[in-house]
Amino acid sequence: MIEVHELTKRYGSVTAVDRLSFAVRPGRVTGFLGPNGAGKSTTMRAILGLDTPTSGRALVDRVPYRTIDRPLRVVGSLLDAGAVHGGRSARNHLEWLAATNDLPRSRVGEVLERTGLSSVARKRVRGFSLGMRQRLGIAVALLGDPPILMFDEPVNGLDPEGIVWIRTLMRSLASEGRTVFVSSHLMSEMALTADHLIVIGRGALIADTGTADFIQSSSLNDVLVRTPRTRHLADLLTAKGARVAAEPDGGLAVTGLTTEAISEVAAAHGVEVHELARRQASLEEAYMKLTDASVQYRAKDGGR
Amino acid sequence: MTAPSLVPGRGVLRSEWIKLRSVRSTTVMVLFATLVAVVLGVLATSSDASGAATMTAQDRAQLDPLGDSFIGLIFGELAFGVLGVLAVSTEYRTGLIRTTFSAVPRRGRVYLAKALVVGAVSLLLGTLLAFGSFVLGQAMLSPEHLEVHLGDPGVLRAVLSAGLYLFAVTMIGFGLGAILRHGAAAIAALVALLWLTYPVGRILDHLSYLPSRMLLFNIADAITRAHPATGKPALRIPSLDLAYTGLALYLVVFLALGAWRISRDA
Ligand SMILES: Nc1ncnc2c1ncn2[C@@H]1O[C@H](COP(=O)(O)OP(=O)(O)OP(=O)(O)O)[C@@H](O)[C@H]1O
Ligand SMILES: [Mg+2]
Repeated sequence: MIEVHELTKRYGSVTAVDRLSFAVRPGRVTGFLGPNGAGKSTTMRAILGLDTPTSGRALVDRVPYRTIDRPLRVVGSLLDAGAVHGGRSARNHLEWLAATNDLPRSRVGEVLERTGLSSVARKRVRGFSLGMRQRLGIAVALLGDPPILMFDEPVNGLDPEGIVWIRTLMRSLASEGRTVFVSSHLMSEMALTADHLIVIGRGALIADTGTADFIQSSSLNDVLVRTPRTRHLADLLTAKGARVAAEPDGGLAVTGLTTEAISEVAAAHGVEVHELARRQASLEEAYMKLTDASVQYRAKDGGR
Repeated sequence: MTAPSLVPGRGVLRSEWIKLRSVRSTTVMVLFATLVAVVLGVLATSSDASGAATMTAQDRAQLDPLGDSFIGLIFGELAFGVLGVLAVSTEYRTGLIRTTFSAVPRRGRVYLAKALVVGAVSLLLGTLLAFGSFVLGQAMLSPEHLEVHLGDPGVLRAVLSAGLYLFAVTMIGFGLGAILRHGAAAIAALVALLWLTYPVGRILDHLSYLPSRMLLFNIADAITRAHPATGKPALRIPSLDLAYTGLALYLVVFLALGAWRISRDA
């Protein structure tokens, strides 16, 4: 379990994390979502005791990370897959890490196996592709067989095969009863992986909710109707219990009735219908709407 | 809740040892130092030996058989210093330091373990290199009977001090690496500290010889000779006591600053 209490981190005048509170529970994948610069990485660094919070605190299994004597046995983390010494082999990288926490040497072979790196274990990391580095970072996280796992944007730069591999891994780690906390700025990715979502923007909490609830509540779901007799049809549909709003271009946005029901009403009253379309915003759009106010680096007109 | 102990256990020490031996730069630096020490030492002592036939008694008296065998160490020391710098700065450059701190959150423990491992390795290699240079140099000089022996007064101390000095330069580099966190900057600072301070000391000599005497360059000179220097240059060379005290001060200051700096956010 990871708990964050009123966490605030300022860098000079920039407030990276702003009185953020949430808990990450075991047995499920918790997605940590937010646009670029929202403060996800900063929060994760604070949880690992790498950055000292300006105020508030972060606990893992009820204690501050820095007080744990052999923390790799409690929390496994991947913050930055690029943070390796290019001249060192994957095996040596894992071996020095295993030594720090008095982990048996056999763990090195086991995590190399699990991440599919056994065949390149003795190669220098310099020659690794991004995907292989990402796997090595995950091997590091798994090294201490920890009950808590934390990954910062693990699918960044991965090919589809790699993405599926990570997704499957996260789900299986959670099903083993572990706490899995994974950040992303892609809602679509999290919708497929996470059971629970923590959404932040500008360092503050926007949503802490189940993925299914989030999709349900925030999706735009309506039917667009176009007819020459706009006002008449609007009245008929309202009488049937629908909520009807006028679109700027003269169409009607109808919620509360299915396309079939709308078509029946129109047919029964002899109203001609030119267009009848169900509109469903993608999850990505819903998420963007939610975090809209908090996007920090909005592209100027025409891109940059 | 108390923070975990500052004292590194065997595991953390071993991890730093694995880190040190598993990168190529360590081997390169050690080989470079050895090569420079051997080549320059042989050049200097062989020129002494070839000139032996035409030497006057006074020339013979002024000959510095130790200094000439150690001449390569004056340049080889940079490789030791760079080894110390890189032991810390590469972790900051690559971001690896965060991984290290997430595995060992007590930063002082990491620093101590690193310092112990780098210190032990440099003291061992430095002492080996000092003895190697000594043996090689004296072998070059012995056909002309110019050599000195370990049993001669002050010689063993001088040879051990040459090793000690290489250790000290390594640890000053190590401290600089931790203070500046940037390899190139720390190496530049080390070069300045080792050599560029020399002319500054010369400029200040008319006020006081103390600045000159506290320079690493002159400290090294003092502790690696069997007999005190003579003549005018000797004024810039500290006494043995002052030299060892000065060296210890350098170590304390740079290692302490490095320790303070490493406790700041990475
Ligand atoms: N070391 C630092 N010094 C100064 N500002 C920082 C530092 N680290 C982060 N910030 C700032 O804090 C804010 C949050 O950054 P953070 O990296 O935590 O965001 P993020 O959610 O991880 O973004 P991304 O999706 O781009 O990785 C940003 O405005 C960033 O510029
Ligand atoms: Mg980030």
